[in-house]
Order: sequence, then C-alpha cells, then structure tokens
Amino acid sequence: MAFIEVTDPISLVKSILLIICAVLVILGGIGILRYKDDLERVMYARIHILGIADMACILALLVLGEYLLAAAYFVMAPFNAHAIANAHYYGEEKR
Amino acid sequence: MDLLLISEYILLAALAIFSLATIRITTRKTIGMSLVGLSGLAIAVATILILIKNIYGIGFCGDIALALIVLGPVGTIAFSKVLKGD
Repeated sequence: MAFIEVTDPISLVKSILLIICAVLVILGGIGILRYKDDLERVMYARIHILGIADMACILALLVLGEYLLAAAYFVMAPFNAHAIANAHYYGEEKR
Repeated sequence: MDLLLISEYILLAALAIFSLATIRITTRKTIGMSLVGLSGLAIAVATILILIKNIYGIGFCGDIALALIVLGPVGTIAFSKVLKGD
C-alpha cells in the first residue's frame, strides 16, 4: 500500500515483533477471562496465562529499546508468579 | 505513515484491552485473583507508558514505568506473604 512506509529492514522486523506481542497480549486477555470462577484450581491457570502476557510485554520492551526494564521484569516475573501461587495454596486453598 | 508507528498503535490498543481484562479479574472474590489482576495491570500500564514515551516523546513516562516495574512485583510479593500468613 502506498501510504504505509517501511524505512529500513530493522524497523520492519521491529514492527512484526510488536504485532506478535499485540496478538499474544490479546490472547492473554481472552484467556484470563475465559474460565469461570467456580472451576477447580482456575487460579493456577490464570497465573500461567498471565506469564504469556508478561513475556509478550518483555519482548515489546526489548523491541522498544528498554533493555534494563525488560531484564528487571524478566528476573522478577517468576518470583511474582510463584509468590501468588504459594500464597494461594497455603493461604486460601487450605482454609 | 510509518509501519513501526502503526504497529505501536496496534500494541497500544491490545494493551488497553488487556488492562480492562485484568481490572475485571481484580474485582473477583478471592484475594489471589486480585493479585493476579494487579500484577498483569502493572506490567501492561508500564508497557503503555513506554509506548507513550516512544510515540509522543514524553520523557518522564519512562521513570514512572521503571517505578511500576520495580514496585509492582515487590508489592505483590509482600501482599502474598501477608496472605500466606508469614
């Protein structure tokens, strides 16, 4: 198309990666709302789906040139997910 | 129009939809669901702020995103400790 310009190959790769991130984020948003609350152990499924959206956001941050933020969240996201799952297992599920 | 700019706008729209989904999860009845929702919302808003910084050239959005990315997981882990009963 005439009105869409691609200046160089690197920006084309960046655009493709950002669109892949957008698709993954949308899938994460659909997946996190999809299951009903009364389903057994739906909490762990939601933490798992959240991980996909997390990684998509990390990829987007890398593409946008924010390497420090991406590295910081890449380190902290698993601790975060583990803390939520651990608290749910020992705090809410065992009551 | 630049393809990179269009893809940034597409990602912005996707993140806005994801933010609404996480807000909806945050309002569910268990505390764990709120933590999942808030954790997702923190990273989504941080990425939106970085996109705004790139598109519109607003510098301080990067600082707010750094604070969100560092303090979001720290707050979630601290609240998880309270929920667990340590």
